[in-house]
Amino acid sequence: MIEVVNLTKTFKKVNAVDQVNFYIEPGEIVGLLGPNGAGKSTTIAMLSTLVPPTSGDVLLQQQSVLKNPASLRKVLGVVPQEIALYEELTARENLLFFGNLYKMQKDQLKNRVDTVLQQIGLQHESKKIVKHYSGGMKRRLNIGVAMLHEPDYLIMDEPTVGIDPQSRNHILETVKKLNTESNKAIIYTSHYMEEVEYLCNRIYIMDKGRIIASGTKDEIKAILSSENTILVKLEKHSNDFLSELMSQPLLSNINAKEAEISFTVAKGINYLPTLLTLCEMHHVTLKSYEVKEPTLEDIFLHLTGRALRN
Amino acid sequence: MFLALIQKQMKILLRSRSELLMLFVMPIILITILSFALGSLMEGNSEMTKVELAIVLHDNEEEQLNEFRKVASETFPINDEMEKQMKQMLPISMLLEQLTKSEEMKEFIHVTELKPNEFENARKSEEFSAIIEVPEHFTVNFLTSIFMEGDQPAFNVYVNESEPITSTVVKNILDFYQQQYTFFTALAKNGFLSDEMTVPTPEIKSEIQTVDTETKINSSIYYTFSMSVMFILFIAGTIAGQSFLEKNMHIFDRILLARIHPLTYLASMIVSTVVIAFIQVAILFAFAYFAFGISLNQWGLTILLTLLLAIVVGGITALLSSINYRSNSANASNIFSNALVSILALLGGSFFNISGLSPVLGKIGMWTPNGAALDGYLKLAQNGSLSDIQHNLMNLAVMAIVLIVCAVLLFPKRGGIA
Ligand SMILES: Nc1ncnc2c1ncn2[C@@H]1O[C@H](COP(=O)(O)OP(=O)(O)O)[C@@H](O)[C@H]1O
Ligand SMILES: [Mg+2]
Repeated sequence: MIEVVNLTKTFKKVNAVDQVNFYIEPGEIVGLLGPNGAGKSTTIAMLSTLVPPTSGDVLLQQQSVLKNPASLRKVLGVVPQEIALYEELTARENLLFFGNLYKMQKDQLKNRVDTVLQQIGLQHESKKIVKHYSGGMKRRLNIGVAMLHEPDYLIMDEPTVGIDPQSRNHILETVKKLNTESNKAIIYTSHYMEEVEYLCNRIYIMDKGRIIASGTKDEIKAILSSENTILVKLEKHSNDFLSELMSQPLLSNINAKEAEISFTVAKGINYLPTLLTLCEMHHVTLKSYEVKEPTLEDIFLHLTGRALRN
Repeated sequence: MFLALIQKQMKILLRSRSELLMLFVMPIILITILSFALGSLMEGNSEMTKVELAIVLHDNEEEQLNEFRKVASETFPINDEMEKQMKQMLPISMLLEQLTKSEEMKEFIHVTELKPNEFENARKSEEFSAIIEVPEHFTVNFLTSIFMEGDQPAFNVYVNESEPITSTVVKNILDFYQQQYTFFTALAKNGFLSDEMTVPTPEIKSEIQTVDTETKINSSIYYTFSMSVMFILFIAGTIAGQSFLEKNMHIFDRILLARIHPLTYLASMIVSTVVIAFIQVAILFAFAYFAFGISLNQWGLTILLTLLLAIVVGGITALLSSINYRSNSANASNIFSNALVSILALLGGSFFNISGLSPVLGKIGMWTPNGAALDGYLKLAQNGSLSDIQHNLMNLAVMAIVLIVCAVLLFPKRGGIA
């Protein structure tokens, strides 16, 4: 198990990371979700012992690794937010180079490189210079390099930023497989809530250097358990109808976009009959009625009053 | 693992076209131009046509000087010392003197002074290999830039591209003149300009006589060595620049995560530099052998001298990288390649023999890696023995140790965010 305890990093009086605690057990996928500037990368840099924390500790099996990071680095694979590859070398040359740094045996390394190329789907383009790769291919190789030495823990810092949907899906599937088939523990950092929601069992939500919520997906969603969000579509927009809704004491957070209206209502209340009556009164036709599960996006909005993506 | 670090450096260099051009092709071109074109001209090769050079003056230098006196005297009093310096720094007199002073120059350059109204015709007629146009107020602007504030004005130079060799020669001379001027400006600004200093004529003699022996060195030998020791310095800027890229792209983080000690990484940079330096020197010397028939007569000592020079350059690579890493910018290696190399080359005598200008500067030159090595190579070319180059080897060894120690102390022992 890797743990960080009261991890804090201060840059010139700015608390980039403030008293952060979290842990990851072998074999689980943990999400670290937060908007740009939340402090995710700084947390990762401290966790991987590349940046010394201002205060706090990093533990591997209950042992601090700050003084002697070798034991942690051995079991850790880090996918940095940046494309940390040699642009002038081919994919295979990059993998062989980093493999050599890990002092892997020649034959073993060759096999391993082939396996990794297969996993990241670059086996047919392994002899191309990285400079000529698409953004998605670079991102895939960026991941490949980190898993070369078969680490038990993989830390991925925004591995899908700025790439096409197809590459993104490929990466998400690769990550899922790494967890289910190779039993790797993964810390997945992102500001895309749907990725974190799709991949992770446990989630930490971070904002302005602090963890503002944590738990399993269900636990986090329970934060909004007292309310349901309801989305209705009308045949056409009606001002009278909207005013009527506004005056209803049971409803809150009313948002209208043309003929689409969303609002929240306390859980346990079936509002459909009332709504139908109101429709009849104002001569509007209801096209659809949908009770929405709260998303991580809604929860972030609820906790901070801001949208996850600005 | 260490081998992988070096292999990687070689592969990257081999695939960077502009760097290859800079390190291997440029020096070959320069050696050729300097020793072939200049050399044969200096030797009075009659096949070479005389360079017809025109100079167009828009102002009278005396009047300009008076004008400057008037402007300057409003800001500060002009004493005798200043007066002397101003006379010494008159740019046009200096250029003309440089172009016509020595016999060798007169032999291959003919200077015609043109009036401003003759300029257009002269340009069209292709009668001249090059025309130097001195714009209006040049002298005033020039003196202002030195004694007060302001940008240094520039000549307009029109070369006749249909005469490639002669126009190259002219470009070279003007470059040289520019070097001198920048140098003198720096001296003047720091109050070092004194009466004894005179503008040196470019080293155009085809034979350079050295003090201690009678063996003569021709210009191709001189320029082979002087360009080699200059261009070897660019390796340091190149490798240090690439290494900063590794930090900037977070590749250095990956290297640390693979449990490679930062000093192992630093050592790999030094060794890569040494290897590349050897390859470069080997290529340049091989070229000199095939092009000019220059052969080395002291293999062992030449290799020893080259090895020490290469290690010093490795030390520079390491120090530049350390500063780059510390300051989190590639400034150190950029400034080195863009400015420091030229100053080192000037001090080390790659353009002309600086000890002729000032013995003190000559001594300083022996404490530049290129200067110490150039002097050593020239001594070896005159059948010098180990005891003759002992001094050079000592200086290089001291420089190597100092540079490497500083680099090791300075190099950050962690990665990530600075
Ligand atoms: N080296 C640094 N110096 C100063 N401030 C920094 C540095 N690195 C990050 N920060 C600041 O710390 C905060 C967190 O940044 P970061 O960890 O990169 O966030 P995220 O990865 O969540 O986008 C930001 O406000 C950023 O500007
Ligand atoms: Mg980040």
